[in-house]
Amino acid sequence: MATKVKFIIKRFDPELHKDPYWQGYTLDVEDGMTVLEALLKISTTEDPTLTFRRSCRSAICGSCAMTINGYPRLACNTQVIEEFRRKGEVVIEPLKNYTVLKDLMVDMTPFWNKMERITPYLVPSKEPEDGWKITKEDEKKIDRAQRCIMCGSCNSVCNTQAVDQHFTGPSALAKAWRFVGDVREKEKRERLLRLSSEHGMWDCTRCIHCTEYCPKGVEPLEAIERLREKALTEGIDDNPGARHVMALVDSVRRVGRLDEAAMTFKTLGFLRSIGMIPFGLKMEIHGKMPHPILFPVIEDIEEVRKIYKKVTEEEED
Amino acid sequence: MVTHDVIVVGAGLAGMRASIEIAREGLSVGLVSKVHPVRSHSVAAQGGINAAIKPTDSWENHMFDTVKGSDYLGDQDAIEVLCKEAPEDIMELERMGAVFSRDEAGNIAQRPFGGQGYPRTCYLADRTGHGLLHLMYEQLMKYNVFLYEEWHVVKIVVEEGTVRGVVALEFSTGKLHRLHSKAVIVATGGYGRVFRSTTNALTSTGDGMALALRAGATLMDMEFVQFHPTTLKRTGILITEGARGEGGYLINSEGERFMKRYAPQKLELASRDVVSRAEQQEIEEGRGVDGCVLLDLRHLGEEKINERLPQIRELAIAFAGVDPVREPIPIKPGVHYSMGGVMTDVWGRTPVEGLYACGESACVSVHGANRLGGNSLLETIVFGRRAGRSAVEYVTSTPFRPFPDRALVEAAHEVALIMNRTEGELFSSIREEAKATMEECCGIFRDDERLKRGLEKIREIRKRYDNNIFLSSKQDGYNTELLNILELGNILELSEVILLSALNRKESRGAHFRRDYPERDDENWLKHTLVTIRDGSYTIGYKPVVITRFKPMERRY
Repeated sequence: MATKVKFIIKRFDPELHKDPYWQGYTLDVEDGMTVLEALLKISTTEDPTLTFRRSCRSAICGSCAMTINGYPRLACNTQVIEEFRRKGEVVIEPLKNYTVLKDLMVDMTPFWNKMERITPYLVPSKEPEDGWKITKEDEKKIDRAQRCIMCGSCNSVCNTQAVDQHFTGPSALAKAWRFVGDVREKEKRERLLRLSSEHGMWDCTRCIHCTEYCPKGVEPLEAIERLREKALTEGIDDNPGARHVMALVDSVRRVGRLDEAAMTFKTLGFLRSIGMIPFGLKMEIHGKMPHPILFPVIEDIEEVRKIYKKVTEEEED
Repeated sequence: MVTHDVIVVGAGLAGMRASIEIAREGLSVGLVSKVHPVRSHSVAAQGGINAAIKPTDSWENHMFDTVKGSDYLGDQDAIEVLCKEAPEDIMELERMGAVFSRDEAGNIAQRPFGGQGYPRTCYLADRTGHGLLHLMYEQLMKYNVFLYEEWHVVKIVVEEGTVRGVVALEFSTGKLHRLHSKAVIVATGGYGRVFRSTTNALTSTGDGMALALRAGATLMDMEFVQFHPTTLKRTGILITEGARGEGGYLINSEGERFMKRYAPQKLELASRDVVSRAEQQEIEEGRGVDGCVLLDLRHLGEEKINERLPQIRELAIAFAGVDPVREPIPIKPGVHYSMGGVMTDVWGRTPVEGLYACGESACVSVHGANRLGGNSLLETIVFGRRAGRSAVEYVTSTPFRPFPDRALVEAAHEVALIMNRTEGELFSSIREEAKATMEECCGIFRDDERLKRGLEKIREIRKRYDNNIFLSSKQDGYNTELLNILELGNILELSEVILLSALNRKESRGAHFRRDYPERDDENWLKHTLVTIRDGSYTIGYKPVVITRFKPMERRY
């Protein structure tokens, strides 16, 4: 049975318009119809100027990522009826955090450039005579990261990307882990050093959007955390990101909670912390400044320290 | 005008593998593709890539299986190259960084595949093509190949018998550009979109085959269209042969494993043409379920399905609303692969000097009348590398010859003709009619009457296209409708060639089954069909099959 569904699509043609505008289309939708099928129907029967990327229509080529009812989705594996039931209509926009070229097509150039920046190929170590032996555990470590189809969804919802266009971004960082986590890779340390610089892995705020909205279960955040863990165990900690994490661990061990003032000093060092003074004053005015000296240790600090002890023991095992 | 030593058209596995071979030599490569490389259809290959890498296997065994699978139409010198070089190419992929699934000992694992006497298909779960395509893109970035992304080639330019480059449409601006080169490699994949129900991407419109034909090359064995036995109900999305390789059953409406009546030895793992015909027969004789048969994976268990076939589970749930852990998947045969293509030798060379082809768009021929699963990815790597290698040798010993001025003018004229028409017929209705015709008249079971009817209809549709196709949106940049129209021109050209080739072959062999000639006829038809354009019309010719090691025998599974 067909259902009448209203599609509201954000249109923009820089050749013709100054600003984007919304256009509505109503279609009879059969059960099972995907958003991509609906777009194809609109563009072949109603409006051939409607522009969007598409290719495999089976969720593996990554062409048709777009914002559907507020979230990044692959148009090809999104059911119209489900979206219609959820929202009463289907609102389609281009991916966010990208420049729009036309209608639902965005400029992916920055995305590809980020990929290129992470040395996106294996630098192989010397192959053993009888070939590399790779265990199931080795396989598993990078299995998720290499499911990425480069659709760009994660970057479109990345909070760091939204404020810093130079951020390496979740997808390229997942790709980076795919090499750092590969037993055959030779330059793991060099990679980790490069990734520890500004705009790199430590700039992620761990908002989990990338993992939440990835259509292929890549879990970029998990890859980022593995990179960080690996960097710290390799002793690559002479950077604000690593220092911040270590200061956090230290603060909780010491007083059972975050000692923000101390963390600022430890993360940024003395000189750069001075630059934070105006920010600190503003916090003080709004009553958000923790007391810089009287910083009480929490009551059950011994419980916290037990956890630390247990974790340390487990690591040693 | 831009100049490169070599222009490669198509950025799937074959095109990228060829580009890398050339770029490694420090030569200039321009890679032109209507989609970004990782969007190419190689990405959708699921099951795996064949190579005899175990001491208990041998390339001769692989060769025999391939020759038999081809129904003895494959050229045995080419198949020998494919199977002999496969293990070394797999090792090179491994060194590039390919992630193959592993066995208990940590070595590359292999799974059984249809039509083969040994489990020799290397794989990455059920997304082998995705793994390899992304791998090749990594190498592409490493070697700095110049990419013309979202450019559509409208003409391969040939003058005085040698290639001079291409004319291509830049999608973002609608401008036509001259790309001058000494050699052109066609690697545009298959033409699944000639048909209505296909596993192929929306972009698989056979552009390179049509372009090469018009440039003077020969299309070979175009009547051999592979129907994949397991494509999803309604959408036609591919369900890998690996699902049967891992032990899946095919059952009909009576719950019977019907393959035991068609291929008592190999059952579900007979070659694809045999399984697809069996399914179609079950459906036509009333033992189908809603126009489908069922693929049952339940006995494999959730754990194995999740480990070996995770994508299949996702696809079945997302596109058919069926969880294979709990229910059988409704599937039917669907157009999957073109055995035919641009005729080449084992070095990717065509009869036109400087023009090469590789991958699915080429016909070497290693697949003959029916391709084995796991041999297509292999072909892209082995013959992509070889086409690249021979182009290197050619361009290093050949000077640049001038790019003829009239080439751009001619191409521009053809596009302008479409652009300037003020009324006529929209592409969508023409395209749907053509596809319906091909489905009805050139399907799994063919006969003289249908093929003739189909040919007549396609010719009539082509006239309408030539004289009356109407482009309603006139903007220059990002004109999808224009692209659709240009692709439709290629689809129609290939439709006619396929029908013509099928009508002329009066026997049944591999994927080409004629109800009016149900037997294989080695006496008259152990030969390749060749189609060329001479003075504006199609000429059909034939050439003998190369037979070296294995004499044709009756084929049983």
